[in-house]
Amino acid sequence: MKISITRFFAAVFAAAIVLLNSEQIHAQRSALDAYAITNARIVTVSGETIERGTIVIRDGLIAAVGANIAAPADVRTIDGTGLTVYPGFFDANTNLGIAAAPRSQPGQPAAPQVQATPQSNSAFPVGLQPEISAADLIRPSDATFETARNNGFTTALVVPRERIFVGQSALVNLSGDTASTAIVRAPIALHVAFVTLQGGEFPTSLMGTFAAIRQMFLDAQRLDATQKAYAKNARGIRRPEENKSLEALIRIVNGEMPVVFQADAEREIIRALDLAREFNLKAIIAGGAESYKVAERLRTQNVPVLLSLNFPKRTTTTSPEADPETLETLRFRVAAQKNATKLAQARVRFAFQSGGMANLNDFWTNANKAIENGLGRGDALRAMTISAADIFGVANQLGSIETGKIANLTITRGDVFDKNRQFTHVFVDGRMFEIKNAPKPDASKQTGGTATPANLPNLSGTWNLTVEIPGQTTQATLNLTQQGDKLTGNLQSAQFGTSELKSGEVTADGFTFTTVVTTGQTFDVLFNGKVTGNQMSGTATTPQGAIPFSGTKTP
Amino acid sequence: MKKLTVLFLLISIFSPTLLAQKRGAAEQSEILIRNATVLTAAKGRLENTDILIRGSKIASVGKNLKAGANAVTIDASGKFVTPGIIDCHSHTMLDSINETSYSVTSMTRMRDVLNPNDARLYRALAGGVTALNLLHGSANAIGGQNVTVKIKYGKSVEDFLVADAPPGIKFALGENPKRSHFPPQPGQPRRYPLTRMGVEETIRDAFVRARDYKAAWDEFREQARKDKNLVAPRRDLELEPIVEILEGRRLVHSHSYRADEMLMILNLANEFGFKVQTLQHALEAYKIAPEIAQKSAAGVSIFVDYWGYKIEAFDAIPYNAAILWKNGVTVSINSDDNARMRRLNLDAAKVEKYGDVPEEEALKMITLNPAIQLGIGKRTGSIETGKDADIVIWNGHPFSVYSRVERTMIEGETYFDREKDLQNRGALERERTELEKNDANKSGAGGNNPPAIPRESGKTHLDDGDDR
Repeated sequence: MKISITRFFAAVFAAAIVLLNSEQIHAQRSALDAYAITNARIVTVSGETIERGTIVIRDGLIAAVGANIAAPADVRTIDGTGLTVYPGFFDANTNLGIAAAPRSQPGQPAAPQVQATPQSNSAFPVGLQPEISAADLIRPSDATFETARNNGFTTALVVPRERIFVGQSALVNLSGDTASTAIVRAPIALHVAFVTLQGGEFPTSLMGTFAAIRQMFLDAQRLDATQKAYAKNARGIRRPEENKSLEALIRIVNGEMPVVFQADAEREIIRALDLAREFNLKAIIAGGAESYKVAERLRTQNVPVLLSLNFPKRTTTTSPEADPETLETLRFRVAAQKNATKLAQARVRFAFQSGGMANLNDFWTNANKAIENGLGRGDALRAMTISAADIFGVANQLGSIETGKIANLTITRGDVFDKNRQFTHVFVDGRMFEIKNAPKPDASKQTGGTATPANLPNLSGTWNLTVEIPGQTTQATLNLTQQGDKLTGNLQSAQFGTSELKSGEVTADGFTFTTVVTTGQTFDVLFNGKVTGNQMSGTATTPQGAIPFSGTKTP
Repeated sequence: MKKLTVLFLLISIFSPTLLAQKRGAAEQSEILIRNATVLTAAKGRLENTDILIRGSKIASVGKNLKAGANAVTIDASGKFVTPGIIDCHSHTMLDSINETSYSVTSMTRMRDVLNPNDARLYRALAGGVTALNLLHGSANAIGGQNVTVKIKYGKSVEDFLVADAPPGIKFALGENPKRSHFPPQPGQPRRYPLTRMGVEETIRDAFVRARDYKAAWDEFREQARKDKNLVAPRRDLELEPIVEILEGRRLVHSHSYRADEMLMILNLANEFGFKVQTLQHALEAYKIAPEIAQKSAAGVSIFVDYWGYKIEAFDAIPYNAAILWKNGVTVSINSDDNARMRRLNLDAAKVEKYGDVPEEEALKMITLNPAIQLGIGKRTGSIETGKDADIVIWNGHPFSVYSRVERTMIEGETYFDREKDLQNRGALERERTELEKNDANKSGAGGNNPPAIPRESGKTHLDDGDDR
């Protein structure tokens, strides 16, 4: 009963968001939607860079671009002096706008898989349902879209989150518009991960996963053959089964739609390539942390890589008592930064993706690391623009600044790879977003900061929280960094994943912060609390009501 | 015209191969191991003997052999040479071992989950091991498809596979498949079967289903000749390997402990017209040695003196190997363990101790016999002319605890060289120091973890019941 009340409020709240958004959209749509950016440096990617030129944007498209173009009279003109215009940047593999399913905690009974598509009649369990589609699941009003835009992204390959047959991805423009207008193309590919199902259901092992994938591919081939025979002459043939899941695989086994294999280790990539060869699939590798080791084969098999810029980093502290890390691990972290360079040298096609990084700023920090390790700036730029468009089959619409293409643009003050550059605007489908408080690429490196004023408690550190959601008390970890009276960090829980804190503040008698929580719906939760020594307590205000929480600082 | 095309095709297919072969013969490297005590595992102990290796094969074994001018000579005076050790029951280099969901998981293939970078492989080489039988775990009455590899550490995974090794499959009887020690996950029902008779029924049922499946396909092939539009029956990856067993094309390695269940599986195999290739573990095999000699295809693969870890593993004796050998059973000694596999030479020595099995017969139990059991006895397992040069050089008798492996070769290539290993250690330390200086390896970088790269897997248990 409690759950249904919760759901009711969530639904009301979601409806409110939708209402609010459509009003905003309406307001912005009635404004002038033609622009000219003048006197800007224009990095077209497809051709020469124009040192001083003009871009005209009209009706969501690039109407004109060149050095000697006059801004038409009926457009809003932006003086681009000192600005650089790039094609809108791609994040070539993300879960943006796809709600995370709750996960079970270790040692606890496995949570039943949450049905991503409601009431699916598939004969297969969630995790083996290739028909699951990002286009059906995506919530473009998700706040993460704004974060992505603020980091210079205009387009993302949005991928569902299920387990083995992860689902079909959609290429989405990050305008925050309705799904039907924001999607550039869907489906782009079927995504596959070499993981197991949870809860003891087949497959529980990696080799079982391969067996399950193989059997479903074979069954899809047979369904295809049966359907064709049945269409020719239904008499005398047993009616082919109505099976959404196998149906969705027919395009895959016929090589009409690519398969993106999530594969990082060398042997995972080799397994993916072997499987692609066995079934004659059109394969793409996502992740690709060790893809440089397989570069030759990737090139000969013509398999592109959606290369994660979420480079491995040492999260453990170095302590003299700790076991030394393996040489393999040490080598791996260093090699990851040279990966893109080696792929470029081997002429493997690749595009960059954020790889689930918590802070999108790392995308730019790590792109710079790749450049420091020998990657050409041009290659780096292409991996965020035209190469991604090319791999997804939309190079005629996106990926470069050319007349007639979709007006997705990212505008910076300073070269995009410069440490001090700022993102100033992005255009998505011709719609302008001004970026305020633009993050700097080296922001994450800032350490130290102002000392805690004497009258304020110091909250920095890790806190174990108990959040008493009615009927389901939840444990969470709160990582806080306090600088003066400002509070940053994140909240992690098995149920809701990790979310960054917003507008965190410390006062003499307590603290407040807001964080975004995703449970089917996405909403803000306001935390209000008091601190005594290493204990904290307070309330979390959600759309459904106030929830008490308490916490202890870990020593 | 058509004929010409075919001819042209044939030439274009074969000529590069021919060329390659010719070139190979001219450039084939020669290695001469001189003046060793050779334990051949086929023709006894040969003192002061040379072994000439040409390319990947043993070219000759004898005294005062002559090699070409470019041959590499290894002086093995005072040293012992044996065939490479073969571990007939291993789970090393597997990223997963047990598919626990069903009682029949014949659709799974160990080939899919090999990790050629597993560092424990190198340690195995340092213990003189050159080949492994990589088996599925024992959680299922019928488990997954095993694979035979040679430990060509440093090469790609394809190079590990022994191409002409017949395919096999794991069966398991007793406590592990009936899940006596493995309660189901919370919320999950217990898996059928729960008893030994249920295990037997599960296996029989699978064979009956496979027989029907084969009949359906045979029928289809017959009909399809007349009717081209006929849609083929569903391909069933679970039943295909069981059909291969029925057709004698897939070897059964059956994990078993008790004498009664070993007899059960031998008789059940007889009922379906095949022979069990090996009984694995087989702690009570000594009770039914004559029956095993008669009814199994290639005997048993056992621990020497390891027991007592569960109820069905109590009635064991260290004379198991000796009694079986005296009854004419092919016996191999396996490790089923990532650490113990490096000491298989000492396990063979124990066979000499418990029951006075002669030196050569004891050595065969870790070399030629496992090779025979894996269907690769014609190409490896002993030091004889024409066989693969899978060779170990020891600084003393391999049955002595004081002896060490100096060099391990597979098909003429050295994969472990103790001298080189010692020399390399300094370089590796220097590399570590350099790597640790790199920013990427400094701690406190913050942020979340990137996706984990699967690395060395956790422990495995002697007797592979543990879930992975």
